[in-house]
Amino acid sequence: MTQPAEHVSVQVEVNGRRYQRSVMARLTLSDFLRDELGLTGTKVGCEHGVCGACTILIDDEPARSCLMLTVQADGKKIRTVESLASGREMSPLQACFQKHHALQCGFCTAGFLMSATALLEEGQPTREDIVETLSGHYCRCTGYSPIIDAVEEAAAKEPS
Amino acid sequence: MKSPVFAYAAPNTVAEACSLLADDEDAKLLAGGQSLVPLLALRLAAPTTLVDLRLVPALTGITHDQGVLRLGAMTTHRSIERSPLVQDVAPAIAEAAALIAHPQVRTRGTIGGAVAHADAAAEWPAVLLAMDGHVEVTGTGGSRSISAGDLFMGPFMTSLEPDEVITSVSLPIDGREIWVDEHQRRHGDYGLSILAMTYQLSDGLITDVRLAVAGATGSVTRAPEAEAALEGRAPADSNDAITALAAELSYTSDIHGSADYRRDITTTLFQRALRAAGERSGQA
Repeated sequence: MTQPAEHVSVQVEVNGRRYQRSVMARLTLSDFLRDELGLTGTKVGCEHGVCGACTILIDDEPARSCLMLTVQADGKKIRTVESLASGREMSPLQACFQKHHALQCGFCTAGFLMSATALLEEGQPTREDIVETLSGHYCRCTGYSPIIDAVEEAAAKEPS
Repeated sequence: MKSPVFAYAAPNTVAEACSLLADDEDAKLLAGGQSLVPLLALRLAAPTTLVDLRLVPALTGITHDQGVLRLGAMTTHRSIERSPLVQDVAPAIAEAAALIAHPQVRTRGTIGGAVAHADAAAEWPAVLLAMDGHVEVTGTGGSRSISAGDLFMGPFMTSLEPDEVITSVSLPIDGREIWVDEHQRRHGDYGLSILAMTYQLSDGLITDVRLAVAGATGSVTRAPEAEAALEGRAPADSNDAITALAAELSYTSDIHGSADYRRDITTTLFQRALRAAGERSGQA
């Protein structure tokens, strides 16, 4: 019989590295990534699932890390924004964001990049697909058009 | 914005989940967490125990057998939206799933969680009511099936017993027409009005109508007077039903929209549904 407990043991793979930790059951995945693993690229905005800043990939699907308890990710593969660049070289998607000025303050950018990464991995999105996917994110600086343009150019470059 | 402390358990069977619920009257089930985790963060909910269903293997999957589409309670909105089976036997259900929030939420949120949560502005309760769907539930005392009409008691209230777990949702696929539509201020927001309607079309006439509205009245509700006024009518001959729908529901006012606005939106959604019915009867 499973006994309820306030602390739980979790094993996750984050950006290709495996971690095992004992954490409070109430700890959200966003806080785990930032505070326990030091992966502060993932930003915490509204903390209740509205803004999209904390979006990461769980088993290749985008999800809000503030709306997940760490323990819900047990046994899963997580990718954060830190997985995109190779060393100091930006990924093609990141380079398109830079080229199109798709960020200003940058707080929302990690979330946008991760949702866009999942979308590009699924195939060739139309501009409409891009808008639908990115509608789950707030950006208060850019007015969105540069972000959509950046993802559209990255999609055109995607070898598929 | 941090959740209160709670004890956590992830049982492997439904029976174990039921007894964990029975052991603690302030225990709560965790499905995808897309509504519960924000409620915890905002401290609107403070369960002492969370019983996570993620390790119960029997709760996911979609089957279609003998005219019933059965969706495991832990099936995500995204899986329903993208299921070739659902797209084939009931495309309107796949489209309804896509109306829920954003893709990043649909990858985690589940149909069983949404139904148990019974948010008055959610899509699935309206779909279940309009389709005459059922939920299969298991408690410490055994299993039973509850029809949508007997399940939703009010906003965030269901007739589930404290130790009962929804294991699946069953939707009849019987050739009836299905229509689901909603209006949101911004894409992905809660619907200001959600309308779900099922009906038979024969010789250009609408019969056997079931009409459900959510988001507009503070609860998910059927509209019996509009249903009666539409019975046996052609889609173009529906002014009485439109008038009845505007009159019979008590629309709510809040910061997102006035009661008059919600009534207007609901009327428009109903007119769109009737226009679609007219197009469908033209094709038949």
